[in-house]
Amino acid sequence: MRWLRVRELVRKEFIQVFRDKRNRPILVLSPLIQLVLFGYVVTTDVRDIRVGAVDHSKTPESRRLLESFDANPTFRILYRLEDPKALDRLILRQKVDLGIWIPPDFQAKVRKQKTAAVQVIADGSMSNMAAVRIAYTSNVVDGYNTRLLQEHIKRKIQYGEIDLRVRTWYNPNLDSQFYYVPGIVAFLVMLLSLLLTSMAIVREKESGTMEQLIVTPLRPFEMILGKTIPFILIAQAQMIMVALFALFWFNIPMKGSAPLLMAATCIFLLSTLGIGLFISTVSRTQQQAMMTNFFFIVPFFMLSGFVFPIANMPLGVQWLTHLDPLRHFLVIIRGIFLKGTGIAVLWPQFLELAVLGGVVFAGAVLRFQKRLD
Amino acid sequence: MHSEAVTVTDLVKRFGDFTAVDHVTFTVRAGEIFGFLGPNGAGKSTTIRMLCGIITPTSGSGHVAGFDLFRQPERIKESIGYMSQKFSLYPDLTPMENIRFYLGIYAVPPSSWKARTEWVIRATRLESVRHRLTRDLPPGWRQRLALGCALLHRPRLLFLDEPTSGVDPITRRHFWEFIRQLTEEGVTVFVTTHYMDEARHCDRIVMIDAGKIAAIGKPSEIIQKTLPDRPGADLQEAFVALMRGRP
Amino acid sequence: MSLKKIGAIARKEYYHLIRDFRSLYLAFFIPLLLILLFGYALSLDVDRIPTAVVDHSKTPESRDFIERLNASLYFDVVAYPVSTEKMTRLIDGNRVVVGIVIPPDWTARLKAEKDAPLQVIIDGSDPNYAGNTRAYLMAVVGERNQNRLLTFLNRRGREPIAVPVEARIRVWFNEALESKNFIVPGIIAIIIMIVGALLTSLVIAREYENGTMETIRSLPVRASEFFFGKALCYWFITLVDVLVAVLMGQVLFGVVMKSNFWLMILASMIYISVALSLGLLISVKTRSQLMANQMAILLTYLPSLLLSDFVFPQQNMPAVLKAVTFAVPATYYIDILNGLYLRHLDFFQMWENFAVLAVMAGILFFLNIRALKKAGL
Repeated sequence: MRWLRVRELVRKEFIQVFRDKRNRPILVLSPLIQLVLFGYVVTTDVRDIRVGAVDHSKTPESRRLLESFDANPTFRILYRLEDPKALDRLILRQKVDLGIWIPPDFQAKVRKQKTAAVQVIADGSMSNMAAVRIAYTSNVVDGYNTRLLQEHIKRKIQYGEIDLRVRTWYNPNLDSQFYYVPGIVAFLVMLLSLLLTSMAIVREKESGTMEQLIVTPLRPFEMILGKTIPFILIAQAQMIMVALFALFWFNIPMKGSAPLLMAATCIFLLSTLGIGLFISTVSRTQQQAMMTNFFFIVPFFMLSGFVFPIANMPLGVQWLTHLDPLRHFLVIIRGIFLKGTGIAVLWPQFLELAVLGGVVFAGAVLRFQKRLD
Repeated sequence: MHSEAVTVTDLVKRFGDFTAVDHVTFTVRAGEIFGFLGPNGAGKSTTIRMLCGIITPTSGSGHVAGFDLFRQPERIKESIGYMSQKFSLYPDLTPMENIRFYLGIYAVPPSSWKARTEWVIRATRLESVRHRLTRDLPPGWRQRLALGCALLHRPRLLFLDEPTSGVDPITRRHFWEFIRQLTEEGVTVFVTTHYMDEARHCDRIVMIDAGKIAAIGKPSEIIQKTLPDRPGADLQEAFVALMRGRP
Repeated sequence: MSLKKIGAIARKEYYHLIRDFRSLYLAFFIPLLLILLFGYALSLDVDRIPTAVVDHSKTPESRDFIERLNASLYFDVVAYPVSTEKMTRLIDGNRVVVGIVIPPDWTARLKAEKDAPLQVIIDGSDPNYAGNTRAYLMAVVGERNQNRLLTFLNRRGREPIAVPVEARIRVWFNEALESKNFIVPGIIAIIIMIVGALLTSLVIAREYENGTMETIRSLPVRASEFFFGKALCYWFITLVDVLVAVLMGQVLFGVVMKSNFWLMILASMIYISVALSLGLLISVKTRSQLMANQMAILLTYLPSLLLSDFVFPQQNMPAVLKAVTFAVPATYYIDILNGLYLRHLDFFQMWENFAVLAVMAGILFFLNIRALKKAGL
């Protein structure tokens, strides 16, 4: 092993990457655009429930019910209508998320201390959000009921109420960006390191320079080092760039240790660079390499828990996700950013990632050496 | 240095059912220009690629630059230079950067980099374009650069695979002059070509067809042996006659 | 325009595709994989939330509370740590998302008809999950409180009192509230973008990189013939993908399209044309495969995934991005799919979406022809 060879290979790789003007947007602009896009868009918060209301009762009681909806910051009564059919149309046309119809006998029933039914229609098409809207609706109605009952007694009573004191840790305002932006950082690091490594080798094959390299005394292992070191450095630089952008643009707090994050990135890169090497051994052209990248990126993304919670998956698939390096890295990067957790808590992820990366990289290196002979 | 730069015996290369090189035996003497001639697909490139260690022979035995073909491929790679038919330098690097890269890959001691670089740039007459992108150079110039890069580590044995294909006649003449000069300095040159007229630059040649050796020797000897009744014949005619004589 | 010439170009493109295993993978396997994943493995619905309860009270009442929590579909009590510290460790290690502490005097306070606090800690790092968790917990406890109040009043009062208002909630369009019902149709739009735009973005760039564009320029082929020839093969493949996706959604996952099938095919045909034109336009303009691939991801795939109202509501986006969504073709197509799959709308209720897509296809065709003419065809 001669470091001189590795050094010159790394040097050449850097010249090639930065000389091509077309690479610059891929290296800098594209990750930032993706970060901003994902950062603003990837949220499934229920912040604003648009309501259409039909009040056929038109009494102080019914008005008070609607007011208790309007007073809640999440609900917004956009339409007050006469015709229930018009309400149906609004829901059909996606103008409102929730329809409330208060029947004419509302006041009478409430005053007689019977149960008055209020019709609520929820648009269930985005089921995850609909479920939350329904839970919020029940809350508002429960609150209204409790107040009515309390007033019925006409004095403040104590009946032994269960008092929920909820504290939300790590992300008290439930800000989506806090959760997703560190995840995007992880995803982008994977995307770029995979693409750049596989392309850099396949390009040499396509242009015939690989053959020239094989006739030189360059050993396969030196070649692998020379081809991966540049992308480890570039990926780390991108990691820092994207992370800084996340910190200052999105104001994501960084609670944990930055060196730990860099170490985790290195271990993570072992897997992605290994897969990149593997892709380069099975591809002859850049197009094939790009297609094969898709083989890996799509399932890795979907099964990582980035958007879709792993806890929701069937058990077999949950086991399968352990083979996804992005899954482990996501836990680490989210843990370090949001929770400030250290190696004491994250060691299982580090271990799994290291084992996975070690196996993948070793396998790719073996295959790579064989293909060169 | 051995008196034989290359010796191979019964070299065979099969790709599946297809036998690309079929029991080839020959010797290249030190300091000569050895030509490997034959039509496209005859097995020229396969042979040269086996000798350089790009592909492994199916069977046979051989020594290149004194090292065993099967057991010491890495030692062989250190002592030879190789230039292929396809232009294979980095187009997005300048000649200087390409040279530096290969200096590093061949692990030439950095103390002699400067001298080597200047020598190669001068020998290949690339002084005026040393900082232009290789991509923008005319084909002939790129050819010279490729040759220069193959010589950076001062190999005693140089393999050239179709070095002159797609190059204009004037550049070709210059090229052969340069090769002749190299052999005068003691370098052995192994060259494949499908241009029959280039064989006159070679000291000895092998004619190969369908993976088998059809003739071996000095060009003039081959012509004489194949067409003894036609004193004015050239190599092309001899080759055609050889092909016709085969079953 | 000659059909023969279009046919010849299309045949060549077909051979390219058929002989390249990886493009075929992208064309057929990715759609299958996505449908399978989303139908079977991926879900946005929050249920069976992993919960830890520290029960310091240890009374029948507290156990009853835990049981009720467990009985609701939303919570799954998986751990009973003995101390708050142990519970904290479970949250840090991502074993549970919510931790509930029942204090020692909890039952005593309830029996004495005093307010009885429950300490709840939610891991907020996944805001979607945490928000749902909090809402469900509040709903469960709110209902229990209301019942307690009623029992209390009925015990004291002379006449029986009922709950004043009951919200009779009906869910429309997706009665079972399953996320696959809206994700599986949405996936069709993503598939069309992957196959249509990502694959075709390489098609002309490849001709440039291999130098075959020179040859094509010298042939008596017109820009429109070249365009249709290139697009034809991919157009049919994408359409087949759509049909396969619809079929799989229906057979494997019971996501059934109850509306007019032909309306869906019509919308898909127009949308496929938009996607292909976009891919080809990127291909002519960039002339390099790597660049074309990156542009296609940035301009077609990501916007369709992120900005189209697919799983991420446009409602929540900042104004600038909301404006951008109007330029994303997938917005209109997903609106149509939503209308067909969930809302059972007819053509006249969403003709605007069809019109916008058709106009987009027209503009892109025109831009393609212009770009090809500029490239020398």
